[in-house]
Amino acid sequence: MLATSLLALPAIAAKPVFEIEIRNHLFEPSEIVVPANTKIKLIIYNRDSTAEEFESYELNREKVIMGNRKAVVFIGPLKPGTYPFFGEFNPNTAQGTIVAE
Amino acid sequence: MKSIRAFLVMVLLATMTLVVFIAALRGYRASMVEVEALLDGQLVEMAQLLDSLHPDEFSRTEAYEGEEFAFQVWVSGKLLKKSASAPRTLMAPLTAGFRDGNFNSYRWRVLAKQGHTSEQWILVAQRADLRIRLAEEVTLEAVLPIIASLPIAGVLIWLVVGRGLQPLRRLARQLGDKRSDDLSPLPVSGSPAELRQVINSTNSLLNRLALAFDREKRFAADAAHELRTPISVLKINMHNLSRDLPGDNPNLDKLKDGIERVGHLVEQILALYRSTPEQFMANFDHLDLHALAQEAIGRHYDEFSSRDQQIELVGHSCQMVGDHFALETLLQNLLSNASKYTPRGGQIRVSVRSDNTGATLLVEDSGPGIARKEYQRVFERFYRTGGDRHGSGVRGCGLGLAIVRHITDLHNARIELGRSSFTSGLSVTISFPVSTVNRVGCQA
Amino acid sequence: MLLTSVIIVLREVLEAALIISVLLALSRIAGIRLTWIRWALGTGTLAAIIYAGSTAVVSDWFDGVGQEVINALLQVAIYVCLVILAMYFSVDHRAEEGKYLRLRLLMVIGVSLAIMREGSEVFIYLSGSISDLSQFTSVLTGGLVGAGIGISAGVLAYYLLLNLRRDILPYLSTVLLAFVAAGMAGQAALLLIQADWLPSQQALWDSSQWLPEDSVPGQLLYALIGYEASPTPVQATAYFGGLLLLLVLVAFHRYTQKSRASD
Repeated sequence: MLATSLLALPAIAAKPVFEIEIRNHLFEPSEIVVPANTKIKLIIYNRDSTAEEFESYELNREKVIMGNRKAVVFIGPLKPGTYPFFGEFNPNTAQGTIVAE
Repeated sequence: MKSIRAFLVMVLLATMTLVVFIAALRGYRASMVEVEALLDGQLVEMAQLLDSLHPDEFSRTEAYEGEEFAFQVWVSGKLLKKSASAPRTLMAPLTAGFRDGNFNSYRWRVLAKQGHTSEQWILVAQRADLRIRLAEEVTLEAVLPIIASLPIAGVLIWLVVGRGLQPLRRLARQLGDKRSDDLSPLPVSGSPAELRQVINSTNSLLNRLALAFDREKRFAADAAHELRTPISVLKINMHNLSRDLPGDNPNLDKLKDGIERVGHLVEQILALYRSTPEQFMANFDHLDLHALAQEAIGRHYDEFSSRDQQIELVGHSCQMVGDHFALETLLQNLLSNASKYTPRGGQIRVSVRSDNTGATLLVEDSGPGIARKEYQRVFERFYRTGGDRHGSGVRGCGLGLAIVRHITDLHNARIELGRSSFTSGLSVTISFPVSTVNRVGCQA
Repeated sequence: MLLTSVIIVLREVLEAALIISVLLALSRIAGIRLTWIRWALGTGTLAAIIYAGSTAVVSDWFDGVGQEVINALLQVAIYVCLVILAMYFSVDHRAEEGKYLRLRLLMVIGVSLAIMREGSEVFIYLSGSISDLSQFTSVLTGGLVGAGIGISAGVLAYYLLLNLRRDILPYLSTVLLAFVAAGMAGQAALLLIQADWLPSQQALWDSSQWLPEDSVPGQLLYALIGYEASPTPVQATAYFGGLLLLLVLVAFHRYTQKSRASD
């Protein structure tokens, strides 16, 4: 028990990293599963030439990602649940969810 | 509030923009929902159509090659038929209803429908971006005219507010154009109800003011006139007294002087209030300003020579229209002022000029002049430069320039004070407008 | 796309328009010439375009969180400007003509920064979307509608403030400035949390069921008082701390000015 939590500590400090791509105004993957109650580092690659804004009211996050660039967003710790996010510049197609488990 | 017009236009336009745009947005949203429901209905129809086909027919028909739609027919977990645009895997989980999902690098609106047998599932999908574009095209047609109408409404508001405020601007202009001595009432007819009270009150004020002015003038004129006789009697008594009394008595000289001053004052007051503008215009006559100046200088010549002052008249004959007596009084006052304030041995120059902008009378002296800040005040009645401690030690009643102003006003002329072209001294420039100048007889 | 551009433009314009209308109304009452707004709009727009153009570069600073850090700095700078302005305007400076220049300069800086912050996002969005000709009409129309609603709201707020009783205006505008400024402080904290410079925590509450942030009233409240549906403790502390600090400073300034005046 003690050993596992000790082992878990450096993992928390390093923060699990997740990656999403924006391609053709779509998030790929459009659903990612992340550990609940843990802070994670989300790297978003924008493969389109136009800018996109990663936005989520549920996550309280908002960040502009210029065309052909990447951006880093720190998220959490989240309670278990689903948290939708979308690309504010193309909200009709760029949609996705983060599932915290 | 700086401008009523700006306030009204801004507030009306802002309110209108808010209302119209928010209404347009509501319309847009409602219309988008409608169009999307319509497109969903289309997908349902399509699914029903596919379901009604016999499984054998699928193998014989060509698959749909288009890009906008995709379909899959699954029987017992096996893909029976699909469109070129559909993937080989399930487009959506096999639970009945609509769902949004990504595949083939597009976002799709997917409908899953259980077929007429429980093993068969029909999946139909439409590309989300094309759906939205289609819905938006339809909706924009309806919303754009509303938004485009706003600039027209703005121009109309601007014009209407301007039109509505016109009576107010007209009233302001009428008041602004009024000459300071014009106390005639403003026209009431044609004014809107909101302004009638303002105009009526202003007119009643103007009327009372006119009456008060008139009373003041008449009182002064009457008083002066009534004083003339006793002063004449006083002068005769004085003359008699001086004959009876022996030798030079300084007190007597002072008394004589005092009576002279009172007499002068009364004459000046009479000159100031003798006439109203209407009476004046009736007396206008053709005259020669140059000749008039010459006469006036002649009359005052003793005054100048007794103080060793040099007087010169520059210019040529200049015909104009004006009141002979009034202009004589004007010249007399200007010359007498010039003589009084110019020291012994000084210079005085009178110039008469004319050109196509009118005639100009210029009187310059080599006296001490007047400080610039006093230029306005010297025209006030009974005002004297330096007050009671008048430096020049010259007598006067302080009415001279007031009379001059009065006469120039009656001739629509402009009067300006300035520095004379001598080393020091005052210059008085009186410019008569073209209307009073008979240009035919004028020689520059 | 129309609705998208309406929301993006409206959200940014509304917040700037609100600050501008409060400051314009206060200037009018204090007898300060309104010409500073031209400078503020000019430099603000220019700065927004430059900032939008360099977003790609800025994003890479501080290990990929440069955008958050710079934006947080901008928010803090606007907060400071608003605090000083609220202090200035809480006391009648009518007699001190000399202070007007400093005051106008401060307003130009504050409003320019606000426009720079809010406007850069609009420019990034518009420059990306307008290049797609098939969406030109809807994006442009949406932008116009959003700007129209935002500016109209600002104009109405301005005239509403001017037509208030003169003894209410200073209090109301101080309160308005206080909430807007507190919103800036809260936003700055949120950005630093996102950048992982401040600790990230569970939300204190979640009122998104009652009043979602993306609804129209939610957007309006966001512009007015910096509404957040699910703030974390750090964010709430920054918000209420910022609010309290401004009010205390204004009250203290009023007190010292009054006692100086009575001496």
